Amino acid sequence: MNTVNRRGALKLAGLAGLAATLPACGRGFGGKSGGGNGAVELNMVWWGDSARAGKTQKALELFQSAHPDIKVRTEYQDSSPYKDKLVTRFAAGDPPDLMAMRVDSLREYAGRGALLDLAQHGDKLDLSGLTDAARALGVVGQQNFGVPSGLNTVGYVVDKALTDKYGVKIPDGNTWSWADLAAFAKQVTQASGGKVYGTNFEVWTIANLIVWTRQSGEDFYTADGKLGATVATVTNWFATVQKMRAERGFPPAGFIDPNGGASPAQSYLAKKSIASQIIPTNNFLNYNKVCGGQLQLLRMPGETQGTRRGQSIDTPALWSVAAKSKHPQETLTLLNFLVNDVSGAKAAGTTRGVPASQAVAKAIAPDLEPDDQRATTYLTDLQNEKLPPSYSYPIGASKLTNILKSISTEVEFGRKTPAAAATQFVTEATKALTA
Amino acid sequence: MTVLTRPRTEPERVAREPVRKKRQDRAAYLFLLPWLIGIVFTVGPFAVSLYLAFTDYNLLTPPRWSGLDNVREMIGDATLHQSLQVTFIYTLVSVPLSLAAALAVAMVLHKGVRGLSIYRSVYYLPSLLGSSVAIVMLWRYLFGYQGVVNNFLGWFGIQGPGWTSDPHFALSTLILLHVWTFGAPMVIFLAGLKQIPVMYYEAAAMDGASPWRQFRSVTLPLLSPIIFFNLVQSMIASFQTFTQGYVMSGGTGGPAESTLFSNLYLYQKGFGELDMGYASSMAWLLLMIIAGFTAVNFLAARYWVFYEN
Repeated sequence: MNTVNRRGALKLAGLAGLAATLPACGRGFGGKSGGGNGAVELNMVWWGDSARAGKTQKALELFQSAHPDIKVRTEYQDSSPYKDKLVTRFAAGDPPDLMAMRVDSLREYAGRGALLDLAQHGDKLDLSGLTDAARALGVVGQQNFGVPSGLNTVGYVVDKALTDKYGVKIPDGNTWSWADLAAFAKQVTQASGGKVYGTNFEVWTIANLIVWTRQSGEDFYTADGKLGATVATVTNWFATVQKMRAERGFPPAGFIDPNGGASPAQSYLAKKSIASQIIPTNNFLNYNKVCGGQLQLLRMPGETQGTRRGQSIDTPALWSVAAKSKHPQETLTLLNFLVNDVSGAKAAGTTRGVPASQAVAKAIAPDLEPDDQRATTYLTDLQNEKLPPSYSYPIGASKLTNILKSISTEVEFGRKTPAAAATQFVTEATKALTA
Repeated sequence: MTVLTRPRTEPERVAREPVRKKRQDRAAYLFLLPWLIGIVFTVGPFAVSLYLAFTDYNLLTPPRWSGLDNVREMIGDATLHQSLQVTFIYTLVSVPLSLAAALAVAMVLHKGVRGLSIYRSVYYLPSLLGSSVAIVMLWRYLFGYQGVVNNFLGWFGIQGPGWTSDPHFALSTLILLHVWTFGAPMVIFLAGLKQIPVMYYEAAAMDGASPWRQFRSVTLPLLSPIIFFNLVQSMIASFQTFTQGYVMSGGTGGPAESTLFSNLYLYQKGFGELDMGYASSMAWLLLMIIAGFTAVNFLAARYWVFYEN
């Protein structure tokens, strides 16, 4: 009797553990609309940090005092949990009214009818202040599913404090080539006695590879939503980095923890372990703050030597409206405010990049901090240049970051040659975009 | 636990058995109550997840029945196979190691150490924290390329690898983290050791048995039900590892898929790639694998687990 009991208890305990193996459904943040006093309550969600939250809130207060009948309830978190919660809310049939949308997820949502076609609501939403390139970021065919929350691009920053210290000359940022970058990086590492590596950038970040691909005369994503990058181009990308690594201009394999935290304060640039890197330009102010204020903002290398220009006008996030929003009219009013209101844009600052509307960008420029002005000028200049067109990220694009990250690590540790890795990347990426 | 720590020798047991049993049963159900109530809330999701396993479901549009498509996809999915391999290696290496560590420390503490409760708490602490985000972060700093461990190695002129960023070492670093959290099984072992009557050791010593012999012939057999319990629990928990891999690799299972636990891949499929049907299939595959391993454990237990009386 006794033994049976004891055995039974152990068995039961074991089975109880077993029962917990199935995944529990994630519970999203609940959303109720319709506040008190007959006011409409909108739910707006986005990702970012508390600094961005403070600025966003200030802009929203201006909006709410101008529209006493509309209340805006915001929620925000880091980008990766944000993604999970957003999709869970859609799955639960309780989407937010206005949301920040990743460019590589736009078509995954839009293609499944989850987002409102903004092109149908030109009367409520004025996008005339945007350049064609800026507007194109949210356009899919004849429809428009997102408005850039701000504009940015990728740029190269060099820490002048370090190059001065080691007596290395910074190349001309408008005309430098990838070979110039390699030579510069090697020089810094040598001059510092290996204490500082000349450069580092994320080989697996799609935006970086896109610049390289465009310079090579190919579209990374083609107009019809396919992968346009060829094996040869991707091979060169890996090989260029591996060559810099071999010359020690780039840190050795394993030196960089790819998940060590993405904020400027946690970056290797701030730790003075490297002298230069690629950044999204809307983060220039934050990087310069934590790096001691001596950062130079250069163009990407190879812009004048390549087949054509590689840099493009980009956005950190799009604003999208849920197709199932209960208050589409009020949501469009809010979106229109975010795009076109100068005082709102002043309050919100440039944490999401330069305001998409050129008129608004021009109006707030004088009030920006000097570092933000530099980033703004950098982007406005770029906007006035003739750049090859870019196309929206196709369905499946969000899978490519993980694929590239895994494969580029294999190259980093010498487990795959650049050519083999490039072949694998093109095969897997093509499959991910057609599946 | 109440069942395990119940006094072992009761002279009048036979006479009082029926009453006692009834009371015990009631207590058992009382303790099971939270779980029984929980079942009400889990049966629904169970059923839905089983249904979703045979559908194509992207979370944004309603699920579409796809029959055995997901199963067919799993057979040819190299990433799934990689994730199962990671999970198996992790479980089969870290569970025996952590149980051995737990038993060894429990033996030492059981021998009578001054301030036992302090030691017990100190060793138990990591198992409370081990799967917490903060500890995994801390671990990453310790084992980073420029971390504490490599600084230490640097004193001897050795340049250590990036223990967490190098695909050759990342999984081993996580296994070490798991072994470090041996506190929970240790506490259970300690309780079990206390149950072994001292007279057995006295008798063995009188017969001239060496400490090793005593360990093998007295401690191990009498402790075997506890070892079995810990083994089953640890294996099930280990098959479900998620947080460590997620935090260490920023959700990617990297470097180069070397820490891509099955549950992490499941999560990526479900929430990253919006393929919840496939993720549900994987959940059921994992359930079957864990059930299989548990069944083997129970079958094998007949040959090595010794129940007294």
